[in-house]
Amino acid sequence: MLAVGLSLAFGIMGVLNLAHGSLAVLAAILYKKSLVLFPFSPWMFCVLATPVFLGFGFLLHLIIVAPFRNLSLSAGVVSSLIASLGLALILEDLFVWWQGWESISTNITFSTFNLMGLKIPGLRAILLGMATVTIGLSTLFLKKTDSGRSMRALAQDKEAASLYGINPGFTSMGALGLATILAGVAGIFYSSLYPLGPREGLDLTLKALFIVVAGGMGNLRGPAVAGLALGFIESFAGFLFTYTSTDTAVYSLLVAYLVLKRGGRRQ
Amino acid sequence: MKPWELFFSIIILMALMLSSALFTKGYAGIFIFSLIINGTMAVSYDIPGRSLGLISLGHAVFFGLGAYCFGIATSNGLSFFPAIILSVILSFFGSLMLTFLLAGLKHGYYSLATLGILIIFQRLFETLESITGGSAGLYIPETISKLHCNLLAAFLLLVTAGCHVLFSRSRWGLYSKETEASEEGAEAVGIPTRTVKVLCLLTAAIPACMAGVLHLARNSHVSPASGFSLTLSITALLASRIVPVKGILGPLLGVLLITAAEEIIWTKFEGFNHAWFGLILLFAALYQGIDFKRREKISAASEN
Repeated sequence: MLAVGLSLAFGIMGVLNLAHGSLAVLAAILYKKSLVLFPFSPWMFCVLATPVFLGFGFLLHLIIVAPFRNLSLSAGVVSSLIASLGLALILEDLFVWWQGWESISTNITFSTFNLMGLKIPGLRAILLGMATVTIGLSTLFLKKTDSGRSMRALAQDKEAASLYGINPGFTSMGALGLATILAGVAGIFYSSLYPLGPREGLDLTLKALFIVVAGGMGNLRGPAVAGLALGFIESFAGFLFTYTSTDTAVYSLLVAYLVLKRGGRRQ
Repeated sequence: MKPWELFFSIIILMALMLSSALFTKGYAGIFIFSLIINGTMAVSYDIPGRSLGLISLGHAVFFGLGAYCFGIATSNGLSFFPAIILSVILSFFGSLMLTFLLAGLKHGYYSLATLGILIIFQRLFETLESITGGSAGLYIPETISKLHCNLLAAFLLLVTAGCHVLFSRSRWGLYSKETEASEEGAEAVGIPTRTVKVLCLLTAAIPACMAGVLHLARNSHVSPASGFSLTLSITALLASRIVPVKGILGPLLGVLLITAAEEIIWTKFEGFNHAWFGLILLFAALYQGIDFKRREKISAASEN
């Protein structure tokens, strides 16, 4: 889900948003803090927090997209990359100040069930289903709705889309809002599986970027397949070598892929 | 470079060389040494940054590589000068390999790949515990005095500044500017763009490796977090970009500003040093956007 949001942001606006993972961490912190006041279920929280994350997306648009609208594509990508890295670093320190060094764990529990003799953990099965539904809904949204079609038109040709009456600022704001909501939902459920450190935002973003780069930028099905591949790579690297070698394996593949696929190409 | 820029650059370099000889101990000694090391990193970063327009988020990879080569050589019983020679040779081949890999990438992909490589090295050196000491890092005994270390660092900064000036004035510097403007155009007129990029990146990598060697020689300790540090990479990037003056004066003034501000933040706002870097990065990027719009308005007005 993280990668799908990132892919949406890059495909439509040409923004490599390095603060994407930090937004997931923010969602996990907000959910944990809200549990002290009201015992929301994660589903209820996701619904209630949607407008808040949409707002964060609009705010993010003002910081990392709007100022670079008139730059060329390459200058715009680099500027938004630097601005979003700056934002990610600010957020990381704010998270440590707000929540301390303690990892965030939301402890959502679902019972294990049997499927043809196989014991399947309920939470993981639900998350798999949720990711599939989210990716399906996002694809439907992009293909079947007017707003989605506007986003795709903007991704293909900004100037031609403007001539057809599409407002580039408003449409890209909507796309970033949607990407931020996806990051928020991913953060809440990720923290139920693995404890999420306040400084892990950049790590999450880089892994999502691996998925996006490998799956194809601006495309939603590719990242889903690449995400599964990443899961396999991480599991096998952890099993064959050590737990710490999983990151080395993932980032080595990211760099190798970039060098091999993008190195010889005119960008 | 204009004559006044060269004049002020020489003044700053001379002041740093003199301070490195005068202040060797205590807080002043550490501050001057970190100014010189950050200066070397920023001036070396500026070589490909300015001429090829590449934004690296992993310049500290070369710093860490140099420091670890020297550390491993010293831990295995080599004395200072043989260890330095060995680490220069090893760092050269390491840097050559990395720059050859990165030379084909452009813009956002280059930045992303450099960040990825920085994290790979950080994690790899944490994993190879028997050679690198794991996350605790390497400790080495003092091999040379602090005064000699400071003087060598100041000499390294001077050589790096010289390389910057020579490279930008040489035909390779002109080739790299042409490559940045249009790679296809440069290739069409017979410029070997890949060789230009490798040479440019290598000219930046070697001083960074040497800075790592001297950092370890003075502080006796390096860890994956301090050697392959994202903060150090960002310091070099910011120092090179924050003062809009061409030549070596820009990164030198940038380093004075950033290092002084960093010291104030460390002492006055503990725990917010990343946020501070983030804020400057954000403003630097926003300034680039505003500056572009301003230039566009000026060019539109002049056309009218």
